[in-house]
Amino acid sequence: MIRLLFLTILSVNLIYSDEDQHLHQHSHNNDVYVQGEKLEVDEKRFKKFIDGLSNSQVAVVNVNGMVCDFCARGIEKTFVKDKAVKRIDVDLERGKVLIAYTKEKEINFDEIKNKILANGQNAIDFTILNI
Amino acid sequence: MGMFKIIVLIFLSINYLESRPISYSGGHTLMHFNDSMKESVYYHYSPIYKFSMGLETMKNKVFSSNETNIRFTYLINRKNKKLSQRNLYFQSAISTKDNNYTYGMHGDWETRRYFIGFDYKEVKNIIDYSDKHIHLGVAPYLGEYGDLHTWLMVKTKKNSINNKQITYPVVKFFKGNVLLELGYDKKKDWDIHLMYRF
Repeated sequence: MIRLLFLTILSVNLIYSDEDQHLHQHSHNNDVYVQGEKLEVDEKRFKKFIDGLSNSQVAVVNVNGMVCDFCARGIEKTFVKDKAVKRIDVDLERGKVLIAYTKEKEINFDEIKNKILANGQNAIDFTILNI
Repeated sequence: MGMFKIIVLIFLSINYLESRPISYSGGHTLMHFNDSMKESVYYHYSPIYKFSMGLETMKNKVFSSNETNIRFTYLINRKNKKLSQRNLYFQSAISTKDNNYTYGMHGDWETRRYFIGFDYKEVKNIIDYSDKHIHLGVAPYLGEYGDLHTWLMVKTKKNSINNKQITYPVVKFFKGNVLLELGYDKKKDWDIHLMYRF
């Protein structure tokens, strides 16, 4: 399923790659598209994150101001209080937070934004991937 | 302090480090600080990410006295960008002894690789004095979340009691919820700052 997801994502990426080349000069090799939206994820990191997860949804959240480990600690502490959160990962390099929720959770971006803001950073946008 | 000084400080404050003077909402922080001026243990609580309040017990090395401070820090402004964060804080403390108090500004700008910060304090004590710090830092490597992170820094500081400027190297480590900052100058000995968040 994961392979299928990545193949789908990568094939869509190839279709758009020419058009995107001029717009995103600093794009990474693992830039991918989900439902037409650009999503930068590190493939190895993502695979490790979803390893063993099933029947879940992963919110990939772009966060501004997440420049150090020490200042991002509160993000993890805030989200793990939610029983619907199975796993969380902070990607400092790409400024992303990955949150794995149960399938039943109705993910609300405002809720995510407020939790990130409680730590002093700003969530910019997010994408949900079904696992 | 006059209005002009305050305005100048605000405009200078794109840039210090008392390493994260406010925690995340609901966060607790315990610090130990030791330098040539003071040795202190400080606990603070941040009800929201914009301010913290706490108690500090302090041995004042300048006047060889002990005192307790009630401290308050407020985040005046923060600018979050994709690759950087800039902060400006107002800091104050009221002492339980002789109506002494402290106030000042603290600012920093950092990316994952670079750090620049300043701190300015006016201290009303037996003798009134001001204390200024500037920090410049670079991370020799960029660690992942959960790794041991290291910063190599230079700190320059001056207070109006002896009016001498000293510049010395500082190394900062943090891993998880613990931060340790060490600075050394042969004339003033060690600066040690230990912080734990919970």
